[in-house]
Amino acid sequence: MSAIFNGLKAAQRLQAANPMLFQHVARGMAGWNKDYKPAQIPKNEKECTAAAKKYYLLPEEYRPYADNGLGYGDYPDLGKGLGIESKDPYYPYDFPEHKRNLHETLHADIDLYGEDRYSQAEKPRFTNSQYWLSFVGVMSGCLALYYWLENYRMYRPVAVKQYPGDGRKHYTFESE
Amino acid sequence: MYPLLVKFDVFRKQPARKKSASNYIYRNVQNDDIMGNAYARAIKPDVMPGPDCVPTFDPMLGFESRKERVMIATVEEMESAKLPLEDRDYCAHKLLKYRACRADTFPFVYKCHHEKHDYLTCEYEDYVLRMKEFERERRLRERQKQIEKQGA
Repeated sequence: MSAIFNGLKAAQRLQAANPMLFQHVARGMAGWNKDYKPAQIPKNEKECTAAAKKYYLLPEEYRPYADNGLGYGDYPDLGKGLGIESKDPYYPYDFPEHKRNLHETLHADIDLYGEDRYSQAEKPRFTNSQYWLSFVGVMSGCLALYYWLENYRMYRPVAVKQYPGDGRKHYTFESE
Repeated sequence: MYPLLVKFDVFRKQPARKKSASNYIYRNVQNDDIMGNAYARAIKPDVMPGPDCVPTFDPMLGFESRKERVMIATVEEMESAKLPLEDRDYCAHKLLKYRACRADTFPFVYKCHHEKHDYLTCEYEDYVLRMKEFERERRLRERQKQIEKQGA
């Protein structure tokens, strides 16, 4: 019990010495992970408009994630493949290093779509069948070349090594 | 391969001399036995022997006499030294001597330089003998083909 009173007295003395201290502590305690947590999925039009305003989106742009229990809540679904890489590099962004403006809504997977990570905004140059055809063509071409040249290998022009007891008599080229 | 073999009598181009049983081997020296054995095998697969070919002709064919190779190391010696099977060739006695020398003089193994080079020279000469056997096989096949052509 006395420890509690001693603690309170110490806090009072600290407050008297530095009036800003507890304001500072209270401000530091804001911004916990509970403050980053999205709200519940909006049920009606009014809540939708409020959520769109909260995330700096137009009401017709706002579309929450499906309620499948993965915990995105009212966070807007911004679609897929919006890599930062595909953004205009010459636009005067507020934060040019991230190509981002103030109050711009971030994708829920922004850690994936960073400029140094992943982007699938552009279509591949060729179709999948063309990629497969060139792969199979190159591989089977190499294999065909390999099997065709199998009988034309380089080798050293030497006869088999002579071991005593291999069933043959061995001679030098000197005469006795 | 050719400059290396020039010093061996068997491959030296001989001046034209009387045809006899013993000099058939000096005829038909063509360029394809100097280099390009893979190419020669591709264009003449019936004459050019393949890699590590086993000689098919009688070893005494064309020789008055021929020295037989002698194996000096015994099987017991090689087994007790745990010599790998691929080292049990006609140079095995020199390898055994070299290894024994190393074991005796360690760590002053530089004293075994004579044994080492003796062994390596033996292996080199063994390899040269294989090259000669290959070339003999090739030329004998060439000769066989010509004889068959003349007979036909």
